[in-house]
Amino acid sequence: MARHIELRVAEARPAGPGIRRLTLRDPDGWPLPRVRPGAHLDLHVPGVGPRAYSLCGDPSVQDAWTVAVKLEAESRGGSTWVHGLREGDPVAASMPRCTFPLAKGAARHVMIAGGIGVTPFLAMAPVLERAGAGWTLHLLHRGALPCPDELARWLASGRAVAHDTAVTPRPSLDALLGPWQPGLQAYCCGPLAMIDAFEQATAAWPSGTARAEHFVPPILAPDPSARPYTLVLAGSGAAADVAAGGSMLAALRALGTKVEASCEGGICGACKMRWLEGEPIHRDRVLTPEERQTHLMACVAGCASERLVLEA
Amino acid sequence: MIASLGWNGVVSHLHITPRAFLPMQAQAAIELVAGEGIVGDRYRIGTETGFYSEKPEEGRQVTLFEAEVLEAILRDYKMEILPEEHRRNVTTTGVPLNHLVGQRFRLGDCLVEATRLSIPCRHIEEILGKPVFDPLVHRSGLNCKILEGGTLRVGDAIRPL
Repeated sequence: MARHIELRVAEARPAGPGIRRLTLRDPDGWPLPRVRPGAHLDLHVPGVGPRAYSLCGDPSVQDAWTVAVKLEAESRGGSTWVHGLREGDPVAASMPRCTFPLAKGAARHVMIAGGIGVTPFLAMAPVLERAGAGWTLHLLHRGALPCPDELARWLASGRAVAHDTAVTPRPSLDALLGPWQPGLQAYCCGPLAMIDAFEQATAAWPSGTARAEHFVPPILAPDPSARPYTLVLAGSGAAADVAAGGSMLAALRALGTKVEASCEGGICGACKMRWLEGEPIHRDRVLTPEERQTHLMACVAGCASERLVLEA
Repeated sequence: MIASLGWNGVVSHLHITPRAFLPMQAQAAIELVAGEGIVGDRYRIGTETGFYSEKPEEGRQVTLFEAEVLEAILRDYKMEILPEEHRRNVTTTGVPLNHLVGQRFRLGDCLVEATRLSIPCRHIEEILGKPVFDPLVHRSGLNCKILEGGTLRVGDAIRPL
């Protein structure tokens, strides 16, 4: 267990339609690692593997982490397991990662959430409020609210606006976001169709001023120009041939390298690795241009050169 | 034995954590157990729950770090690393840790023997979210085994034999 954080379910309760809210603590109540608002946590689902959930509690609370998980009809195993957890049950987790950070220096933050996609914004809200920032959360939902207790304060103050699309027409994202102006930062977390609409609405905005967080990895189209390459581990010198379009992650595992991986679709940041030589083709949705100068996501990355050397 | 001359140090901070990844917490005093480690710390032999516990090592019984390195990193890299962030147990002031490999010295009333220099790890960058790896190379502290245990307090003297 040394490579994981051991937690216990301190509280498990319903939090809206089909949603279960877990409060997780260290077994002895020791403080937990600090988290940034927008971070997500990989829970290690027995027999399934890691599953990422946004932390939705106030990041200033040092001894508890909170997740709210919707039971998915086509669960890949994670939400069914979470909904079966009881208070006192052990849970193993990886270090939280923040791939959806608040923008430093923005004057105004506008957030668009679809249903349970509200969770990362519940963690951002108290941080922005304490900082005296300008912010608005638009929640698009159908019927009963997700996480109603956590939202109540923000709905009452007008910081959050709920749009029940079962009773009112779905608002256009253009109308909710308004035109871009200096200092404006937009965020979106929700189903893929909403993120696509968000990315269209903000396509002309300056780079980095509109950020989206996916629930599930987008399906990557095969790369017709993919070519085979040799993967080399700098530490041991071990090498493997990766076929055109083949998985770097699978090649690393075949070489015996222990790599944390979760979404395996280039969005969660778990399998981030440092590369040293070669020309990686990134294909992920999580690294910044600066990070790509030194790192890649092994689950989706390819290689344009004959040889790619990783620090492993 | 040059390194044994001309220094007298003090314990500036004490920190432990019971499990991998969890924040180090400041203590006014810690209990060193000869041949094992620190009561309540993740690397105490027999109850290891640390990140590197799959590779047990007697030199992880108690680990030390120079307060002067924190000052140097702030000066040279404009990066603040707090005493609870370097993840060693004892923050020292006035002790040339890098000179003490292979030597025995007094840590308060306890007797320790330095086994090797600590080396930084990428794991700490993951925990801190700060690029501390490069600044810590060659000055990441000292690993020691405990020859004589006892209570160690903030303010205790560290001195050569």
